[in-house]
Amino acid sequence: MVKEKLHVLSDGGYETKGHFGPYGGAYVPETLVPALRELEEAYMRSGQDESFQKEFRDLLQRYVGRPSLFYEAKRLSEQLGGARIYLKREDLNHTGAHKINNTLGQILLAKAMGKKRVIAETGAGQHGVATATACALFALPCVVYMGEEDVRRQKLNVLRMKLLGAEVRTVTHGSCTLKDAINEALRDWVTNVEETFYCFGTAAGPHPYPTIVRDFQAVIGHETREQALKELGKLPDAIIACIGGGSNAIGIFHPFIPDPEVRLIGVEAGGTGNKTGENAATLCLGEPGVLHGAYSYLLQDDDGQIVVTTSVSAGLDYPGVGPEHSNLKETGRADYVSISDQEALDACSLLCQTEGILPALESAHAIAYAAKLAPRLSKDQVIVVNLSGRGDKDVETLAQYLEGGADHE
Amino acid sequence: MSERLKAVFQTKPAGVTRLISYIMAGDPSVEASLRRLRGLADYGVDILELGVPFSDPMADGVVIQAAAERALNAQMTVKKTLELVQEFRKTHNTPLLLMSYLNPLLHYGWDRFVEDAAEAGVDGFILPDLPWREGKGLRTRTEKSVGNKLSFIPMIAQTSREQDIEAVSQVTEGFAYVLSRNGITGGEVEIPDNVSVFIESLRDSLQIPRCVGFGIQKAEQVRALAKICDGVVVGSALVKAFAKLDQEGLEEKDLIEQEKEVFTWLASLKR
Repeated sequence: MVKEKLHVLSDGGYETKGHFGPYGGAYVPETLVPALRELEEAYMRSGQDESFQKEFRDLLQRYVGRPSLFYEAKRLSEQLGGARIYLKREDLNHTGAHKINNTLGQILLAKAMGKKRVIAETGAGQHGVATATACALFALPCVVYMGEEDVRRQKLNVLRMKLLGAEVRTVTHGSCTLKDAINEALRDWVTNVEETFYCFGTAAGPHPYPTIVRDFQAVIGHETREQALKELGKLPDAIIACIGGGSNAIGIFHPFIPDPEVRLIGVEAGGTGNKTGENAATLCLGEPGVLHGAYSYLLQDDDGQIVVTTSVSAGLDYPGVGPEHSNLKETGRADYVSISDQEALDACSLLCQTEGILPALESAHAIAYAAKLAPRLSKDQVIVVNLSGRGDKDVETLAQYLEGGADHE
Repeated sequence: MSERLKAVFQTKPAGVTRLISYIMAGDPSVEASLRRLRGLADYGVDILELGVPFSDPMADGVVIQAAAERALNAQMTVKKTLELVQEFRKTHNTPLLLMSYLNPLLHYGWDRFVEDAAEAGVDGFILPDLPWREGKGLRTRTEKSVGNKLSFIPMIAQTSREQDIEAVSQVTEGFAYVLSRNGITGGEVEIPDNVSVFIESLRDSLQIPRCVGFGIQKAEQVRALAKICDGVVVGSALVKAFAKLDQEGLEEKDLIEQEKEVFTWLASLKR
């Protein structure tokens, strides 16, 4: 009922592309409309441009280190009993997460469009680091907006961005996390739109970003498909990925959407509880609305105000989600679940101790759900977890957890 | 279009130009907002813009962001905003436009919202996160439900190109809100000198009056713009002036006296 009441934006007559069912669109200030159109046109051209595609492929191979490994986590699987768990090792990419796939693609676009300056937002700092890296490689000045709360809990990444030559601007209003960093980056963009390229970090935001980011990240899913067929002779039974805005998830899900036998499961941040403000489980607990340029699920209060979220993981601490995920939920093609802070922290230890792999706290949410699902499946079934990033950036948070005094409320 | 809004552009303004003011509903209280709306109308403002507070105002600078925060801290809601308009309508006939981000209105339920807004005496909307061409569905839906009582005010940006302006050129009522420059609300960024060229260039393509907003805070800016457009919007400068008074902790009697000085200053911009 509520949903029907809210789908009014798409009830006939919208002229732009970039809708996923009723979700998506480009709900931005008029000033940005031509910039988004220009970006869309540049992106369409890049698809036909063989030299662009070759440069992108070469960078992914020689700079990022792709294809990333498809690794069977045997000890983890044995310990859990049940399905075989494979890890798609995006944590082994240059800069330590999947984010670099997207930023290299977008910076190539920035270059093709003749933009002189790059801005980005970041939550956990992984997208900020990946943008700063790509900008260093292509000699473009880079400004990264980051919430004060995230600057505090992801110090290592702040340092890395600075070392890479980026200017990190701390955002001190609102909840001081990713959502506020995006607001501030959008304000910068609308002010300096002519010369600035906004390198958006997740598969959310106004059209064409959800499509562009998905396409640049879909390399994860394409490789997974090829690697699974080669190694297992079949497609996996389930694919699990964590979701903040949803870029690593849509990247690994997308090539499998036409295969109904492959379960797609997105794992959101359950935080400390199910009450408003205690989590960042947007698809599990939110309702559709408009934030940051797109119509999609949102965590909001009774008056349509966006609520402050909670998660031990900065990268998932976001009250919105990409519009394509909203549509996958609506059509039932993907399932969305949530994992609490504690379960994610436990999963982090579990993966460290069984496999010698320290996952990012974001990715630990996906591991935690795999640990719940695996025992319910049989030994001939296969789960692939997208291990989207490594956990070095989280050691301070983890140290507090090990000492028994988690610092998050 | 409402008769109230129509009347504004049918007559020549008494002073130099038509004046459009902006304040945020519920900043810092419903009572203060009501008193200020009445004062602005009494002092000759031609059109009132009333902001609906939103937690994530991406098109606003620090002044209006802070105003939204104060209003939300004072528990302002969409419902209370409509009640405020209803109360204002009991005494005043000045046209009033709600300026709002989409989400609070969608969450209220669009159909119910437009019915309640028309009923309360709202004359139209300015929606900074709804580009004109994305808003076709909502406009059609609104017209079906409440007829043409509520106007949608299109915004035109410095970056707007032929196809964007072409879409607005079909509009036959209300006015076009022309952005003085790229960027967010507030006086932090100067208005470029070539703005007049842009405003002039719109004269032939638009059927509706052109009012200019964003970053207007000084009499000389108003004087310069008045020659080439049909009205000016003063927002952040006004919000800032009231916020300054609110922070002084004045007795209500003194506050009301001081507010009159703000009204007088604003009215002086017209001449």
